[in-house]
Amino acid sequence: MRSYRSLVAVASAAALALALAACGSSSPSASSSSLGTSAALSTGGYKSPLTEPLTGGKRGGTLNVLQEIDFEHLDPGIAYFSVDYAVVFATQRPLYSQKPNSNEETPDMAEGPPQISDGAKTVTVHIKHGIRFSPPVDREVTSADVAYAIERGANPNVATPYIQVYFKAIEGMPTATGGPIKGIETPNRYEIVFHLSEPKGQLVADALLLPLTAAVPKEYAEKFDKNKPSNYANFQVATGPYMLKNDARGKVLGIGYVPGKSATLVRNPNWNPSSDYRPAYLNEIDVKIGGTSTVLGRQVLEGTNIVQNESAVAPPVVQLAAEKYKSQLEISPGAGSHYIAVNNKVGPFDNIDVRKALWAALDRTAMNKARGGELVTNVATHFLYPTINGFEQSGGLKGPQGPQFDFNAYPEGNMRVAEKYMKLAGYPDGRYSGHETLTVVGSSGSPAEQDAEIVEQTLKNLGFTVKFTLVEASTMYAKYCNVPKEEITVCPSVGWAADFADPQTVLNIAFNGTAIVPTGNTNWGQTDVPKINAALAAAENVVGREARAQAWAKIDQELVEDAAAIPFDWDKQANIEGSDVDGVGDIWNVGEWDYSYTSLK
Amino acid sequence: MIRYIIRRLLTGVLLLVIVCALTFVFFRILPTGNPALLRAGRDPHPNLVKEIERVLGLNKPLIIQFWDYLKEFFFHFNLGYSYYSQESVRSLIAERLPVTLSLTIGAAVLWIVGGLSVGIVSALRRHSLVDRLSMGTALLLLSVPEFWLGFVFLLLFANDIGKLKILPGAGSYVGLTYDPWKWFTSLIMPWIVLAAGSAAVYARLIRSSLAETMGEDYIRTARAKGLRERAIIRQGVRSAINPVFTLFGLEVGVLLGGAVLVETVFNIPGIGVENYKAIVSSDFPVVQGTVLLAAAFIIAANIVVDIAYAYLDPRVRYR
Repeated sequence: MRSYRSLVAVASAAALALALAACGSSSPSASSSSLGTSAALSTGGYKSPLTEPLTGGKRGGTLNVLQEIDFEHLDPGIAYFSVDYAVVFATQRPLYSQKPNSNEETPDMAEGPPQISDGAKTVTVHIKHGIRFSPPVDREVTSADVAYAIERGANPNVATPYIQVYFKAIEGMPTATGGPIKGIETPNRYEIVFHLSEPKGQLVADALLLPLTAAVPKEYAEKFDKNKPSNYANFQVATGPYMLKNDARGKVLGIGYVPGKSATLVRNPNWNPSSDYRPAYLNEIDVKIGGTSTVLGRQVLEGTNIVQNESAVAPPVVQLAAEKYKSQLEISPGAGSHYIAVNNKVGPFDNIDVRKALWAALDRTAMNKARGGELVTNVATHFLYPTINGFEQSGGLKGPQGPQFDFNAYPEGNMRVAEKYMKLAGYPDGRYSGHETLTVVGSSGSPAEQDAEIVEQTLKNLGFTVKFTLVEASTMYAKYCNVPKEEITVCPSVGWAADFADPQTVLNIAFNGTAIVPTGNTNWGQTDVPKINAALAAAENVVGREARAQAWAKIDQELVEDAAAIPFDWDKQANIEGSDVDGVGDIWNVGEWDYSYTSLK
Repeated sequence: MIRYIIRRLLTGVLLLVIVCALTFVFFRILPTGNPALLRAGRDPHPNLVKEIERVLGLNKPLIIQFWDYLKEFFFHFNLGYSYYSQESVRSLIAERLPVTLSLTIGAAVLWIVGGLSVGIVSALRRHSLVDRLSMGTALLLLSVPEFWLGFVFLLLFANDIGKLKILPGAGSYVGLTYDPWKWFTSLIMPWIVLAAGSAAVYARLIRSSLAETMGEDYIRTARAKGLRERAIIRQGVRSAINPVFTLFGLEVGVLLGGAVLVETVFNIPGIGVENYKAIVSSDFPVVQGTVLLAAAFIIAANIVVDIAYAYLDPRVRYR
């Protein structure tokens, strides 16, 4: 789950179905079928990453970028935040990456698709010739640089956040702390082989599009990686079309990146366009950090060669854009999801029928209105969200169908169905008659706070007594919802954004009983159903996109049937641009602007 | 006097140690998140978390961590490194301090000149139309939240999103040495917004203090002796200004520690914004550095005010 913040609210707009196949995408690999149906990807007639042309942009010019928040990490081995990715993917080339309008892997540093062999226990990748690092390194990239990039991720001085989630199967990875890893072999300068201890070749192959696989020159980076923590980010070199401005020694800090103030991306003189699919129209990207989203948004809407890069543009600005600057608003579907985590382990919600009763009673439409309605949300009916592989197989927008899913059939809530389930749970008058007080800990600030209040009211309608607390989002997670021993009954608005389009990235950690940990736990409801755990374990090893979609969609439906949690919103990201910008967002990166495709008019 | 100053300075150092200790303890006990866990990412191997804790020195007993920090701070003026950017906290503060100084000093000049002028005029013309208008305006400025006033100014006067487009807007700040004119114009709105509330307080404070002083026996006596009104007012203001001066010292000290709201609204990269960001992201070294800086400014301002009392009010003497 990458860092992202809740999406923002605007007035609802009529949802118009988009004929995605005719959306002007010039990318041969853009595949609407792999993303979902046109209805699920509708953006109400506003621009979307799926409708923006990827070719024919004007070359040259400087794009100004305003962003309220600073970057978290610009080291490709540490970056794990959608706003960071906008820079990292413009400056680095992982083995694979995704085009703005696609969630499918495209070879980037790699020459072709990954070869999965040996019963999914070996993954082989050949890398392109002639790719060079930016100054001051300047030399050609080899497979050893990719190996070092991954090895340094296990070095505690670097500590790639997701390395043990997706690369644990590589032999020697679980105990790696930097230095060579037994399961990573480089037979020659252009080939890298991953030997796995389990048949998880598909997952490892899919994860090769994460920025961890962007090459890092060992002889140059090693001295920085010895620092505790590593400060390679401040001296980093690039392989992508752009690089953070640096001096002759390679120093970026204070030149190309001034924390809390600015970042400057200039063209990488060693970038080889013939080896890359990105057009890289712009000459320079100047990022200015700080301010308030509301002011920044207005500056962008009234400006020219300027965009706002934010994990959430301020709701009033989105509303203003939707009303007065329609051509400057981009809506990106598939930007994550939100659901209500209910404690499956202790308290009244250890009873499946009580969970179903809450699901049935809840007015999910009202919760989504608090987030801005149809323009920036869809009412969620299951856990796999639009653009994730398996979404359609799991029922698409409508969700799983059948009498056993009646609690999911009323987005506005249905108290009669809720009462039916309360009775099944052993409360004859359809309302809770126990004596437990529910602990509800939500996140302060709009719209999570409004969502939490709707949940609180629904619980009261079902007869519960509620102890309701709102805290800052990071505290809600770190102190309460991520800590099982706190025994929080309901976390009313937890969010999830996938690392890539494979359904495992959405469902596995969030609902796997074997993944429950004492702190930093993201199986918030502590779902621990042996049948589901077994299905998750089996699905991890499934090879092939369609087969995985089917396998994980089945699990998704089982989770709905189990009412493991209550999904209420599928997010769409709103982005704004100045009048002279042809902005292109990345559907795979919660809609953030892609600087390698954006151009000036 | 020298002994007094030395004693105050030593007390100041002790206070800094206490502030340091409190910050240290609070940010390790309160639920802001373990930096090692934040760095380790999702589903980290416990060994990895331990290793990061070791790397960051978080595995040592709290008291040792604190002692290490104090040693580095007092003997090397080393405030550590940001957990995120790896930038030295000392250089991070050094870079932002001129920005906050620019903002605070300019605003302080405005509010002291504006507040005192209005307050003195009001005190001398009590119950007149000018007095009522001035005090009414002061009340209004006191009631208006800084961030709201900032937005209103931007929407009215900023050259990008404002109606009148006469002053540089948010994000236009440049350093004094880079372009003095741009520096000056970019700070006009922030200065006014930051000064507005304080000027109102000073105006009301000096008005009531001066009004009271002007009714004192010695003022009547001076008048009876035929002293010129200008000289009488000067005497009165000198007596009435003491409480204002105390407040001024404190307020400047606080603002030098960062004016978060104004810095945020006008996108000025000062200490306040940095401190806020560091708190949100559990970047302990930066939090400690900026909190210590704020505390140092407040302590120093207090000492300066106390010493200055002696010169402002001959009745005050120090032992």
